[in-house]
Amino acid sequence: MALLEVTGLQVEFDTPEGAVKAVNGMNFEVNEGETLAIVGESGAGKSQLVMAIMGLLAENGSASGKALFRGKDLMKMKPKELNTVRGRHIAMIFQDPMTSLNPFLSIEKQMTEVAMHHQGLPRDEARAHAVEMLRAVRIPDPEERILQYPHEYSGGMRQRVMIAMGLLCEPELLIADEPSTALDVTIQAQITELVSELRQETRMAIILITHDLAAVAEISDRIIVMYAGEVVEAGSVDDIFYRPQHPYTRGLLASVPRLDRVSDDELQAIPGNPPNLLELPSGCRFRDRCVEAIEQCSEKPPLWVSADGRVSRCVMEMEGGAIEPASEEAGGAE
Amino acid sequence: MTRSSAIRALLACCLTGLASCGDGERDFGGPRENRLQPVELVLMENGRPDPAVLADEQTVLRGNGEEPETLDPHLAQGVPSSHILRDLFEGLTTESPEGKVIPGVALRWNISRDARTYTFYLRRDLVWSNGEPLVADDFVYSLQRALDPGTASSAATTLLPIQNAREVLAGEMAIEELGIALLDEFTMQITLTGPTPYFLGLLASPVAYPVNRKNVEEFGDQFSKPGKLVSNGAYTLSEWNPRVGIELVKNPNYREADSALVERVIYLPIEDQSTEVNRFRSGDLDWTFEVPNNQFKWLQQHYARELVISPWMGSYFFGFNLTQEPFIDNPSLRMALILSVDRQILTEKVTQFGEKPSFALVPPGIDGYVPFSPEYADWTQEERNHEARRLFEQAGYSEDRPLRIEIRYNTSDNHKKIALAIASMWKQVLGINSTLVNEEFRVFLQNREQKVVTQVFRAGWISDYNDPYSFLELFRTGHGLNDYGYGNSTFDALLDEAGKERVRARRERLMFEAERVLMSDHVVIPIYTYVTKRLVNPHLRGWQNNVMDHHPTRFMFKLKSRAPGSPEPQAEFAPDTPPATEAQPRATGDPEEPTPEQAAEPVLADEEESQ
Amino acid sequence: MIQEGILRHAATRLLGLIPTLLLLITIAFFMIRVAPGGPFDSEKVLPPEIRANLDAKYHLDEPLLQQYFRYLGQIMSGDFGPSFQYKDWTVNELIARGFPVSATVGGLAMLLAFVLGTLIGITAALKQNTATDYSVMGVAMLGISIPNFVIAPLLILGTAVYAGWLPAGGWDWSWQRMVLPVITLALPVIAYIARLTRGSMIEVLHSNYIRTARAKGLPERMVIRRHAFKPAILPVISYMGPATAALITGSVVIERIYSIPGLGSYFVQGALNRDYTLVMGVVIFYGIVIIVLNFIVDLIYAWLNPRIRYDEAS
Repeated sequence: MALLEVTGLQVEFDTPEGAVKAVNGMNFEVNEGETLAIVGESGAGKSQLVMAIMGLLAENGSASGKALFRGKDLMKMKPKELNTVRGRHIAMIFQDPMTSLNPFLSIEKQMTEVAMHHQGLPRDEARAHAVEMLRAVRIPDPEERILQYPHEYSGGMRQRVMIAMGLLCEPELLIADEPSTALDVTIQAQITELVSELRQETRMAIILITHDLAAVAEISDRIIVMYAGEVVEAGSVDDIFYRPQHPYTRGLLASVPRLDRVSDDELQAIPGNPPNLLELPSGCRFRDRCVEAIEQCSEKPPLWVSADGRVSRCVMEMEGGAIEPASEEAGGAE
Repeated sequence: MTRSSAIRALLACCLTGLASCGDGERDFGGPRENRLQPVELVLMENGRPDPAVLADEQTVLRGNGEEPETLDPHLAQGVPSSHILRDLFEGLTTESPEGKVIPGVALRWNISRDARTYTFYLRRDLVWSNGEPLVADDFVYSLQRALDPGTASSAATTLLPIQNAREVLAGEMAIEELGIALLDEFTMQITLTGPTPYFLGLLASPVAYPVNRKNVEEFGDQFSKPGKLVSNGAYTLSEWNPRVGIELVKNPNYREADSALVERVIYLPIEDQSTEVNRFRSGDLDWTFEVPNNQFKWLQQHYARELVISPWMGSYFFGFNLTQEPFIDNPSLRMALILSVDRQILTEKVTQFGEKPSFALVPPGIDGYVPFSPEYADWTQEERNHEARRLFEQAGYSEDRPLRIEIRYNTSDNHKKIALAIASMWKQVLGINSTLVNEEFRVFLQNREQKVVTQVFRAGWISDYNDPYSFLELFRTGHGLNDYGYGNSTFDALLDEAGKERVRARRERLMFEAERVLMSDHVVIPIYTYVTKRLVNPHLRGWQNNVMDHHPTRFMFKLKSRAPGSPEPQAEFAPDTPPATEAQPRATGDPEEPTPEQAAEPVLADEEESQ
Repeated sequence: MIQEGILRHAATRLLGLIPTLLLLITIAFFMIRVAPGGPFDSEKVLPPEIRANLDAKYHLDEPLLQQYFRYLGQIMSGDFGPSFQYKDWTVNELIARGFPVSATVGGLAMLLAFVLGTLIGITAALKQNTATDYSVMGVAMLGISIPNFVIAPLLILGTAVYAGWLPAGGWDWSWQRMVLPVITLALPVIAYIARLTRGSMIEVLHSNYIRTARAKGLPERMVIRRHAFKPAILPVISYMGPATAALITGSVVIERIYSIPGLGSYFVQGALNRDYTLVMGVVIFYGIVIIVLNFIVDLIYAWLNPRIRYDEAS
């Protein structure tokens, strides 16, 4: 059994302009110890996807579908029950470390409360544990720094604290939502490296959300590419990197620097912007920006699963595999 | 809970702040049907109330307006402080419940033929509240202190009739040169500059009260504090919390301590009139200082039994500035303005608080004086308006040559309402365009005094003593308060004569004549004369209405409550009970029972004159 | 370290207070004297002899500048002088009696307003845009929009005159007599604090660190109490400095309607009666109270907000 099994997940936002479907029928699994990267441009719905799983959607958002964690549907849990999972079994770190820590509480308070609340540890033990964790995320002088407040930390250090805090209860699943995006490049690398090291040390599963395909190459087992609230392609790292099937994936790859390319001249961005979710094009959602678009693209492409397990949503690739039912709700995954 | 226990609880609240109150029933607070009523008063043969009808707890809670400015009798001027001081002290003379001057510390007196020398024979057995004997020297000391420039008493104006008082106040003469002489331990003599028929009344006012020399010398300007103040009246000061309350308790050393039935008086300073009414209604007070004008009608309907209205020595009028256009040398115009004011409408429709329409300066009810009444007082308003229009034209005004004037008053809703109404009457009858100008009180006073910008302005006078002279003298040429710029030698001469006249009837005629002259010169627009209005707990008796509005507590007493449910006497229960009207005598008995000694030789001024 | 920082800060503030107060004293001193009329003017004009005696007694006959320096010298020794109007009392005595009353009523009103206001504000924020939100905020807004001179008499009529539960006014330090004035005084402040709290709480609840707290699986109660409360009340704390000063220095309206012997009436009465010493005394006292309160609020603010601690400076 998969650690986390998501089926038919939809997220909708009630906005003054109308209902916006941010995530449109997602299906995927995360196995124990596995690192799954979810990649897409901003606005693709990848963050809202995990927010929905964590029960952290904004007030105007609502989610449907299933998200079975160890067989129990997170989506059906009452807040009280959900709170026995969040922070304890599933931890999450966020995009913006500058604002994700409470500026009014010391690092010690913010860290120990997790251990004290979930594991019932007494304050000293929780504290010792927190110090250990800080050490584990390479924070120097953790005994002293734990007394400090977030504003006394740099951005990278704060993200390390967030990670340490997430790992405190040794969760089975860590969801990292663009953990390094807001940081400068050298720090980004450090954080990515840290996550990768921790992954090896702890053997926990990770969902890594990023817009940067390159950044996940090293550390992921599998990759899901999202576009406009839908899966457009999914597969192993090698498949995605070396045998991309969907034009969008190819576009993404073309826009990242790669060692196996001769020069950066070939770097090119995908033309245009992600579609407005209120005014989606008919048919394939990528059609407007797709350089390879053909006439058939005006009809909604189903999600294809090839014989070798590749998944993609492009009419051009349909011949390569068997068709699965293409209903939006139950579009097959994997 | 009986009245007395309610009072006890309240008292505990008021003064110790320990007990809890607000629980339990009240006997006359709350909606009318819940109020308890007193038993009927039964008098004994000696005219005193039967102890059987008296409430167990004889405590009176009196609303007292603003916080008294001082309890030093020689500095006190305001009405609130004088109410308290009348309970604390007693002068050579004092007042009966009806406001008549009666012997106080002085048992009797002689007045010389030239009406300038008063010899006072003091009671011999009197003591201060601390037990020390009270002697004539105490009064000599006290009067000297009141007039000492170092005391800087504003109230000392009252004592100016005393010979050399002005010079002493000005520091031009030594204090010993005052016209006050000690004849022996219990006899003293006061010499006046000129005849002053109301002088005995002045001696009943706080500035003429005795203070204890040792007391003053020991504590200096702190002597009037509780625990320090030595007094000689029916009560002594037991507690004073500024703007909270002043508690007096009976002085066992007072000469008539036995006849004073109220054991304890609490004066509560309540600045806000509505609050005072509310506190009365919730059973917190036995006696209010006043009632707000805007609730007068409502109270007339709902508190007819408690509302007491009585004439007071005050006049409300507007004045003309006779030194400036358009009123200088223009009596016709002034008369036209006077005539076209409808006083009936002003008192009955505009102010609506029981005041009496007035056509002259001196209010009625002052010590036997019958005020002047002009011819137009008997006319209908129609006739007055008609005459007003004639005079207006005669003064040279018409529709083509309209008059514009300013009506000036100090900021107050009441003044504003009246000024507005008068302006509209003038507009209607004479076509005058008036501008209302309201000013902060002190600015207003200054403008009035300077007589430059004023035209028609609010005025009024509330007398300090029971004598028409108090009103008339304001219009003497050059008087400090003659903001009208009025000057008439005939008027001045009449007042001079009245000042010297010893025979009361003749003096009153002179003053009447003076008032006639003044009113014929059209200096003021009489509007109304004041009344006092207050709510009084029906249990509280022994006091009487008087034009001075002086109500010493020592004459008061409290009746028991009737058991709830027992039938009320028909008279009080009748649904057609008329609204409270003026001068309802409350006291069925007269507790002012003269002692044999007093009865034997009460020597009052009038009688002395005829000797 | 923290203590040292605060002490240094306090000392600086106190030093800064002296020129401020001096300026205040000077302006107030001359302003009240420029106002037309004097303390001994009344409708009954005093004979010049008496007027001269009064002026001599209170040194009003001296040149203004001399009076000013005499006054400065006098207040240096902490003596505000005798009141012109309440002749048996010194200004010090009146303030010493009036301020505890105003401070008690005002302080309790502030306490009530803080507790109720934040509770209402938080409740409304948590139930944002629901019927609960609208009804509690609606009721609270009534508190702002109905002036207290309207509410107070209604409260008196209801609770004292008709029901007889509470006294209709007066003062004796019993809680019964404090209830109505405290409520009346607190009502508009409750409403204001509720609005302030609701706004800032909603903002805080949308912040990333609250999302983090929720992601940590903390129960909502703990999220609110531990993570959201402090930042949400910060704007309330800054508001409370001047508001508390306004409340504890006494409200003339409340003092009149409930006949409470607070400080507010002394100020107004003193000004109206040109009671120079009383007005000056109360003005200076107000100045000190306001400065001290702002300082206290700064300290509380710093204590709540780790980003502005005074030990930071070093």
